[in-house]
Amino acid sequence: MNLRSQPRLLLASLTALVGLLLLSPAVAFAAEETASNEPALNPSEEFALPSWVSIKIGGLDLSINKAVFYIVLATALTCIVMVYAARRMATRPSGRLQVVLEGAFGLMRDNITRGNMDPRMASKWFPFIATLFLFIWFSNMIGYIPMPTNTEHTFDVAGVEIPSFALYAATANISIPLVLALVVWIAYHVEGIRHHGFFGYIRSWVPSGVEGFMVGPILVIEALSHFVRLLSLSLRLFANILAGHLLILFMAGGLVVLLGMGAFGSVILGISTGTLAVVFFIFEIGLVATLQAFIFSTLTAIYLGGAVAEEH
Amino acid sequence: MDLILITAQAAVDTAAATGETAGRAIGLGLGTGLAALGTGIGLGFIFGKTIEAVSRQPELRNDIQSIQWLGFALTEATVFYGFIAGLIAFFV
Repeated sequence: MNLRSQPRLLLASLTALVGLLLLSPAVAFAAEETASNEPALNPSEEFALPSWVSIKIGGLDLSINKAVFYIVLATALTCIVMVYAARRMATRPSGRLQVVLEGAFGLMRDNITRGNMDPRMASKWFPFIATLFLFIWFSNMIGYIPMPTNTEHTFDVAGVEIPSFALYAATANISIPLVLALVVWIAYHVEGIRHHGFFGYIRSWVPSGVEGFMVGPILVIEALSHFVRLLSLSLRLFANILAGHLLILFMAGGLVVLLGMGAFGSVILGISTGTLAVVFFIFEIGLVATLQAFIFSTLTAIYLGGAVAEEH
Repeated sequence: MDLILITAQAAVDTAAATGETAGRAIGLGLGTGLAALGTGIGLGFIFGKTIEAVSRQPELRNDIQSIQWLGFALTEATVFYGFIAGLIAFFV
């Protein structure tokens, strides 16, 4: 074998491995259904959050569950990777990590922050926006690594009960994008009020050229649009990641199990939807995960820049 | 014919025949499907206009492409608003 064909072989075997990994839940579910009379698969269980360590303070439920595990993992990974890379920065980059991070740094500094704000604001808010971008990116990306987190369904390996492998992401739960969006929403209003003063900031919502009796209705519409921003900013991230996970779940076996068309029909359907699952998996990893982190931080920069801008 | 009338009629008919969840399923399907229709048209516009703009001024390709991805994500998100509204109609 010559050397040139080796990367292609590696890529092909990697793709096959990912495909096998994606198909394994379907096989497991099918085996489980024939082996015992357990209740049928319910796809919404993949997103259920059974509490692992129960913590209850008064009426507050602060139990540790799958979502908490994923958000801690994403935070730890963001900190560890960035601190590790920052300590090993060299004037002559030796590894691939620094090259990749310098590219990401350029994107965050020049494209996202400086492209949408004036230079003083950009240097002030760059750490916040960069952290937001990296946290969402890590959170999205670890969501596509199958991890043994589904404690509802377990399987035996040499007498040890292992939870089923499942895909989940902190950002596929509405609470985390909503909290991030709330932080951004409050931050840009505070920044606008600090810059213009309270009444000046409210007045800056009305576009120049609007006069007289039209000011009232325009102000109401603008106030509404600020609340819609809160909704759209959180829903966009949440729904994109959730829909991606749902697509992979259904294509990689959920559909076969739900339809239950007998052995021959299931194999035919499984092969075609399994191929689609690999395609969606690559699409989600290659485009959606990075794009949603980019969009969230770009919109944050646009809102912060717009709040202090002189003209609407 | 008016789509709303057809949907309402279908919801009444199937609810009588199969119980209460049929109307909810129609809501979920129609919400997501119509949202996907609009989003598809919007995405076509964005990529078509990008191709047009790049072929007019190829030297601005990088600038245009970064705006294109912003527009792509903003437009693509609208299908999920319909999807989420449908899920709320289905489960709540």
